[in-house]
Amino acid sequence: MKVFSQFLSYFLPILYLGLIYVYYAIFSGKKKSWTNRTTLFLSLLLIIHALEIAVRHIALKTIPLSTTHDALSFLAFSILFVYMILEFSIKNRGSGLFILFFATILELVSTLNLTWEPETNELLTNPTFAIHASLSIMGYTAMSLSALYAIMYMIQNYNIKKRQLGKLFTQLPALSYLEKMSIRSAFIGIILLGIGILLGHMEAEALIGEFWPKDIKVIATDIIWALYVVGYLLARIMKWHGKKMAYLSMAAYFILIVGGTLAIYLSETFHEFN
Amino acid sequence: MNNHIALGVIGISHKTASVEIREQVALDEVEQKFAIQKIINGFEANGILILSTCNRTEFYISIETPSEKLSLIRTWLDEYKKCTYYSNTEISYEKYGLEAARHFFNVVCGIDSQIVGELQITGQVKDSYNFAHNLEATDAMINKLYNFGMQVKKVVRNETFLSDGTVSVSFAGVELARKIFNDLSDQRILMVGAGKTAELAAFHFLENQVKSINVVNRTLSNAQDLANKFSGKAYQLDDLETALKESDIVISATSSTDYVITKDLMSGISRKRNYEPIFLIDLAIPRDIDPGLEQLNNVYLYNLDDLNGIVEKNLEKRRKEIPKASRLVSEVLDEFQKWISTNSMSTIISKLKKHFELLSANELAKLKKQYPENGYQKEIDDYTQSIVNKLVRQHMKILKKNVGDPEKYQQQIELIFKIYEIDLE
Repeated sequence: MKVFSQFLSYFLPILYLGLIYVYYAIFSGKKKSWTNRTTLFLSLLLIIHALEIAVRHIALKTIPLSTTHDALSFLAFSILFVYMILEFSIKNRGSGLFILFFATILELVSTLNLTWEPETNELLTNPTFAIHASLSIMGYTAMSLSALYAIMYMIQNYNIKKRQLGKLFTQLPALSYLEKMSIRSAFIGIILLGIGILLGHMEAEALIGEFWPKDIKVIATDIIWALYVVGYLLARIMKWHGKKMAYLSMAAYFILIVGGTLAIYLSETFHEFN
Repeated sequence: MNNHIALGVIGISHKTASVEIREQVALDEVEQKFAIQKIINGFEANGILILSTCNRTEFYISIETPSEKLSLIRTWLDEYKKCTYYSNTEISYEKYGLEAARHFFNVVCGIDSQIVGELQITGQVKDSYNFAHNLEATDAMINKLYNFGMQVKKVVRNETFLSDGTVSVSFAGVELARKIFNDLSDQRILMVGAGKTAELAAFHFLENQVKSINVVNRTLSNAQDLANKFSGKAYQLDDLETALKESDIVISATSSTDYVITKDLMSGISRKRNYEPIFLIDLAIPRDIDPGLEQLNNVYLYNLDDLNGIVEKNLEKRRKEIPKASRLVSEVLDEFQKWISTNSMSTIISKLKKHFELLSANELAKLKKQYPENGYQKEIDDYTQSIVNKLVRQHMKILKKNVGDPEKYQQQIELIFKIYEIDLE
C-alpha cells in the first residue's frame, strides 16, 4: 500500500507537467487537434489524483489535509476540479495554461514535502474538522482563481490597449468574462471560507472552550476574510469595474498569501498539526 | 501513374485570369446543366463536377485518357462560351490524375483561395457536387474525389489555423468587440454618421444579434432613415452625449474634419457610465475620435489602420499555415491514390483473368478436337480453371504489395500487360 501510494504521489507532478505541456501545445498552436481532448486529460488526472488522496487516506487513517503535502495537494486537486467544471461549462481553454500552471506549482511543492507518518492527532480524525478544513481549502482555491482571473484580465486588457493581438490575445477569454469569473470566484471563496471559519470557531469552542481563540492564524484568517467581504461589498456598492476590480482582487490575494505565510511561520499554536 | 488515372481538371481561376475574363467564362445553372450533359454524352466522360464561382470556373472530369480528351473539351468550351480563354494555356490550366485531385483538395480547404483559408468555398463545392449528383452525373471517381475533399477540409480545419482570424476590416471590429464583451447580445451599438461605411459595419454587428443599433447624425432625417433599418433610435448630433451614455460599442464614420468625440466629452461620459467598458471604432478619415481618449480606463479605441493591421496579421498567419495544410493534403492524397489503385486493381485483375481464360479455352479447344466425345474428361476443365485462378491470385498478391508505392505499382502493371500483350487502356 505504501509503495503504491508513494508511487502515485511522485507520479502526480509528472502528470501535471504533462497536462501543462498539452495546454501549452494547444496554446501555441502546435497541436490544435488536442483541443477537443482536454476534458479527457483533465478527467484522467482528476481520477488519478483522487486515487492518490484516497490511498493515503486509507493507509494513514487521516483526513487528506493534515500535512503540508496533503494540504497543498488538495489545493491543487480542487483547482483542477474547479477548472474542469469551468472549461466544460464555457468551452474555453484559454485560461487553462495559467490556472493549471498554478496547480502544477502547488503539486510540485506538495511532492517536495511528502511525508509518511500515520496520523496521531485526534483533532485530525474529527469529521467536523474535516469539513472545516475542506471548505477552507476550497475557499482559498476560489480566491486563488479570483486572483488568477484578475491577472488574466490585466494581461488581456494590456493586449487590447497596446494592440498586442497575438496568440495570447487569441487564446485568452474576453475581458467581461474574465472580470465576471474573478468576481464570482471571490464571492464563492468568501462563502466557502466563511462557512469553514465558522465551523473552525465552533470546533475551537467545543475543544478549548473559546469561540475566538487567541491564535495568530485564526485571527489572521478572520481579518483576511473580513477584508474580502468589505472589499467585495465596497466594489458592488461603488460599482467598480475592470482594472480597479482586478487590482482589488490581486491585492486581496497578496494580503491573503503574505498574511497566511507570516501567520504560519511566526506562530506555534494549537493550530499546528505536525 | 497520372496518365492512367481517369481524372482531369480544366480551369480558369483568380490566379490565371482577371475578373472580366472570369465573368465571361463562368457558367450559370442552365449552362452547367447543358455542359454536364454535353461532356458526358459527347466526350464519353464517366462523371463530372463543375465549380463555377466568382473566383474560378473548373471542370473536374472523370474520363479515360484525360490527356487526350481534355483538349477537345476545351475547344468545345470555347465554342460554347464564345471565347478563346479555355484554349489559351496562359489563362486556362489542365491537370490530370493525382495532380487534378491535389488541386481539388487545395481548392476545398482554401489553400488555393484568393483569401487564403476562406470558408465560403466549401459550401460552393458542396452545392456544385449536389447539383451534379442530382443530374446523375457523378461516378465512383467523382464521388470519392468529393468525399476525400471533405475529409481534407475537416482535417485542415481541425489541425491548422488556415481559416482562423478574421480577414475583413468590418468583421475585425466584431471580433474585437467579442474579446471585450464576450456576449454581444447585451450590447448596444451607436453609429455616429449615417453613411455607407458605418452601415456596413453595423450590419456585421446585427448578424451577431446585438441588443440595439441606434444612429446619431447631423441631419436627423438621415439618422431616422438608417435607424429604421435596424429598428433603432435616431439622435441629432447635439444629443451625442446622451446617445454615448446609452451605448457600449460606437462606430464612427462621419465626414467631419474635427474630432466628433473628444477626450473631455468621453471622460465625462465614462464617469456617468460608472466606468463600464466602451468600445469605439473610428472608421473615418480624417479621424472622428480623439486618440487621446484611449488613455481612459475601460475605453477601447481602434481606428481604420488598427483594423487593417489586424486583417494583415491574420492573413500572414494564415499564409504561414499553408505548408502544414499542404502536408495534410498530401496525406489524404496518398489515401485517395490507394483507393484508386485498389479500384483499378479489380479492373486489371479481371482483364488478366479474361486473358488467361481465353488462352486456356483456346488450348482446351485443341485438346477437345484430339479427344472427342468420351475421350475428353470434364475434370480437365476444372483443373485448368484452378490453375488460372492460382496464377491470377499470384499476380494480385504482388500488385497488392505495392499499392502504397505508385511508381512501382505502375511499373508492375505495365510489365504484366507487356508480358501477356494485354491492351493497357
